[in-house]
Amino acid sequence: MSSAGVKILVVDDEPPIRKLLRMGLTSQGYEVLEASNGKVALELLAKKPALVILDLGLPDIDGHDLLSRIRSREENLPIIVLSSRGDEAGKVAALDLGADDYVTKPFGMDELFARMRAAMRHQLQVHGERPVFHVGDLSVDLVRRIVKVGDREVRLSPKEYDLLRLLVQHAGKVLTHRFLIQELWDEPTDPQYLRVYVRQLRQKIEADPERPQYIMTEIGIGYRMRAPD
Amino acid sequence: VRLGLWPSLLTSVVSALAYNYFFTEPYHTFTISDPKDVIAVVFFAVVAVIVSNVAAQARIRLLGAMERSRTTESLYAFSRKLAGAGTIDDVLWATAHQIAAMLKVRVVLLLPENGSIAVKAGYPPEDRLDEADLAAAKWAWAKNRPAGRDSDALPGAKWLFFPMRTGRGQIGILGICRDEPGPLLRAEQRRLLDALSDQGALAIERVHLVEDIERVRRVAETDRLRSALLTSISHDLKTPLAAILGSAGALRDLSHSFDDNAKADLLATIVDESERLNRFIANLLDMTRLEAGAVVPNAALHDVGEIVGSALERASKILARHRVEVEISPDLPMVNVDAVLFEQVLFNLLDNAAKYAPAETTVRIQSWQEQDSVKLQVLDEGEGIPAADLERIFDKFYRARKGDQVRAGTGLGLAISRGFIEALHGTITAANRTDRTGAAFTITLSIPKAAVQEVAA
Repeated sequence: MSSAGVKILVVDDEPPIRKLLRMGLTSQGYEVLEASNGKVALELLAKKPALVILDLGLPDIDGHDLLSRIRSREENLPIIVLSSRGDEAGKVAALDLGADDYVTKPFGMDELFARMRAAMRHQLQVHGERPVFHVGDLSVDLVRRIVKVGDREVRLSPKEYDLLRLLVQHAGKVLTHRFLIQELWDEPTDPQYLRVYVRQLRQKIEADPERPQYIMTEIGIGYRMRAPD
Repeated sequence: VRLGLWPSLLTSVVSALAYNYFFTEPYHTFTISDPKDVIAVVFFAVVAVIVSNVAAQARIRLLGAMERSRTTESLYAFSRKLAGAGTIDDVLWATAHQIAAMLKVRVVLLLPENGSIAVKAGYPPEDRLDEADLAAAKWAWAKNRPAGRDSDALPGAKWLFFPMRTGRGQIGILGICRDEPGPLLRAEQRRLLDALSDQGALAIERVHLVEDIERVRRVAETDRLRSALLTSISHDLKTPLAAILGSAGALRDLSHSFDDNAKADLLATIVDESERLNRFIANLLDMTRLEAGAVVPNAALHDVGEIVGSALERASKILARHRVEVEISPDLPMVNVDAVLFEQVLFNLLDNAAKYAPAETTVRIQSWQEQDSVKLQVLDEGEGIPAADLERIFDKFYRARKGDQVRAGTGLGLAISRGFIEALHGTITAANRTDRTGAAFTITLSIPKAAVQEVAA
């Protein structure tokens, strides 16, 4: 996927961070729109950016407010929030408000680019999934519902398969506990059931369930399927 | 004789009259015809009266002795109760309750507050005095003399107030009241009240002294910590910063004199030292949150294996030169923890193991169920911990002695771990391995009742 000319809106009040993002993103061929506050950010939406990188700590407006205002104007615009460690509640709130993903400060550029790719890939894919998903030794055929690790076919229960399908359909993106529970169960369900299914699924598809390579745990937030190779 | 003087006197008179009625002539009248009988009746009556009197005296003495012994017992029980009371509220409540019970009065206790005095306890529980009573209490406090009902000062008040004193001076004010009119206390009750009041005052003073000592200790502790913090910060912040600044400056200014390997090396230093700085700042923030009481665990049932996996993932770079073994019982129940806090604890233990155990050794994580608890151990193959340090390593800024090549820790990781584990109602202890040299950290968490093991597909 070429990033040439693709516009990225960076919303952060710290000039060194904006500079770092500008240099990093420009080096990848992106065009960067910069906003140091929420007001400018909302104005720059008119330039139709392809993705927003949003720092939750802004001087003029609460980051979560700005997030909902952007989301209310641009339903499908991918948004990645920059947050700090220890603020898991803030991250979950941002994800529930419609952010696609988060990066914890301080972050590496490679991590940010991976999140951006996953968020934009998912947006392009919303109306057409790839029929077979591959990552490492794992392959998931979403049409024929066949899951393989290497050559070995893995037998999953319907719930385990539904969980895996959700993770695969959003591969590379974090999915919150709440989102997964809503999608998997019709009624409110204790998150511990989700954890039990994740454990069972890992035992079936991971070589070492204690050191998972496919279904990654985002402590306090949710789960993330490793992005396809 | 068990009933006292008046009943026995009455019995004497009735007996004399009965003798007269039945045994002296003329029978069945109260008149006496024979003078000898008169003497007999009078003699009987006198003897009966004397015996009654002696018996009644004995009974009064016995009752008095029993009363005194009960009072002594109550006072003794009271002093023991006070000795066991740890907080000022316990002491006040015990005092108010005891006085109310022994003297059948209502009681309030007032202690100094903001330059005046205020009601701190009452029995029956009651916090309010009206204006006149409060004025009497304040007068008693100001003059260090009794005031209010039955006293010389402000006798219009409904309550009677006494200063509570110890050898060091006035401690507070004791107020008593009874709904019935009339004098509140007899002389011996007043003596009893003084004894109770003195005991209460001493206990209040003791609690105050303990609080003072604790306050002084905390101030000293805070000072010690502040200086340790300064030492630690200046070292732990400045060392990585110096490396980062030096490397970055060299790359900017001396770029032409480095080959690609040297440049890569300098860049790696910048990244590694920045990460170290980041961990240290995260530790400082965690410690600050703990000390500010801002750590509110968001506990839920979690899979130990999952949190171990997450901690290992985050520590993978730190442990890159160690082997890692994980053994978790397959049927281990879920534990009730805050996943973020628990993962941080595991990360700190792994960080610690990476620091103190040499490269190429094995760091082992094992978790199993033992009766009603889940145990999790992190074992390393370092030199272990000197016996004298096993408890102290959990102190803030305490760093075990180590060889020169070992990188200094922040001295915060284990203190934070203990703080977090205690916030999760668990325990964490340090020991040395018995099977070989090396340190063993053990976390114990109780098993929640509602944990699910497996779910039906």
